[in-house]
Amino acid sequence: VGGDYLELRLGDFLDRLSADGLAPGGGSAAALTVAFSARLVAMVARSTLAWEEAAGVSAQANAIAERAVELAHTDGRVWEDALTALRDAEAGAEDDPRRDFALEQKLEAAAAAPLEIASLGADSAALAALAGEHGHATYRADAAAAAALAAGGASAAAHLVRVNLGVRSADPRLARALASEQAAHDVAARLLESHR
Amino acid sequence: VSKSDLTDAELVRRCRANDADAWNELVERYSRYVYAIAVRGFRLSDEDAEDVFQDVFTRIYTRLDSLRDDSALRPWIAQLTRRRCLDALAARRDVPVDDLLTEEGSSDLSEVEAAFEVREALAGLSEACQDILDRFFTRDQSYKTISDELEIPSGTIASRIARCLGRLRVELEGRNDAPDGSRG
Repeated sequence: VGGDYLELRLGDFLDRLSADGLAPGGGSAAALTVAFSARLVAMVARSTLAWEEAAGVSAQANAIAERAVELAHTDGRVWEDALTALRDAEAGAEDDPRRDFALEQKLEAAAAAPLEIASLGADSAALAALAGEHGHATYRADAAAAAALAAGGASAAAHLVRVNLGVRSADPRLARALASEQAAHDVAARLLESHR
Repeated sequence: VSKSDLTDAELVRRCRANDADAWNELVERYSRYVYAIAVRGFRLSDEDAEDVFQDVFTRIYTRLDSLRDDSALRPWIAQLTRRRCLDALAARRDVPVDDLLTEEGSSDLSEVEAAFEVREALAGLSEACQDILDRFFTRDQSYKTISDELEIPSGTIASRIARCLGRLRVELEGRNDAPDGSRG
């Protein structure tokens, strides 16, 4: 992947995202969207002095954001591996069971990171729900925005799980990803509706 | 009173009385600490850290009578470990120990100290709090996984963790306010 995303200027990261080539891609962007969401929750919590659980919620949100950033790197790495294997497969002979097995393994690995990203999206949304309920009135719109970002990240990640695993709707990993997506969306819909 | 509940001063007194269980508890209590200073504080190799570990605990065993303040066991062990780490680094680089004393980072053990204090404070919490904090912060479990495994409603997990963190903070503050009141 090359370099730490957090060490990049935001403009440089966005340039890399839009450049031709490999990582970062959709999974990394989804992970960082979840990280944005979690940091917003932390901001709401830290801005609400009267909330007894604010410090604890902020600590959890920051932990989620740190994990999401790690997953942005992990996803970039495994996705590059899978993409390289996929290109090799397309360029090679039609029947090569060993190569196909290796490709399947790479795609499975490429599904694992977005599965965790979707789960973090659900967790960030759960914290946003608390921030929306207990946060200072001035910042409740930020809690709703955090939930919307979490839901977006979870949706993108769940989609990547589906694509990387292939069309196997019975796979329990896909069910987990979709459940995370649904949980995040439920929170986001509720918080956004409360501001209409 | 189990050995793990003893203060350091009580533990030292029992070790001096040749209580084998107390010696085991002392090693159990401080083995991670010594190893963390060697590996994280001084970035020694596993091999050098193991040598330091053996040497430090041998010195603790043979020199415990020279400890003047029984409640100051931890700073004493930190000092012993630090000296042995510097010896190991000096030997590895073939330079005098004095040359290493000004080296940036080699003596900055604040992170190791903080981690150890948190670990000790955790031991003062209920098992339920220790478990849920470990699951979320150490094992990176999601709220859903914690909810499924502990059979508690998913919507209450974040609040439970927040309350346990609040208790951890109180425990840490209590330790800082009472120098000899801590277990460590």
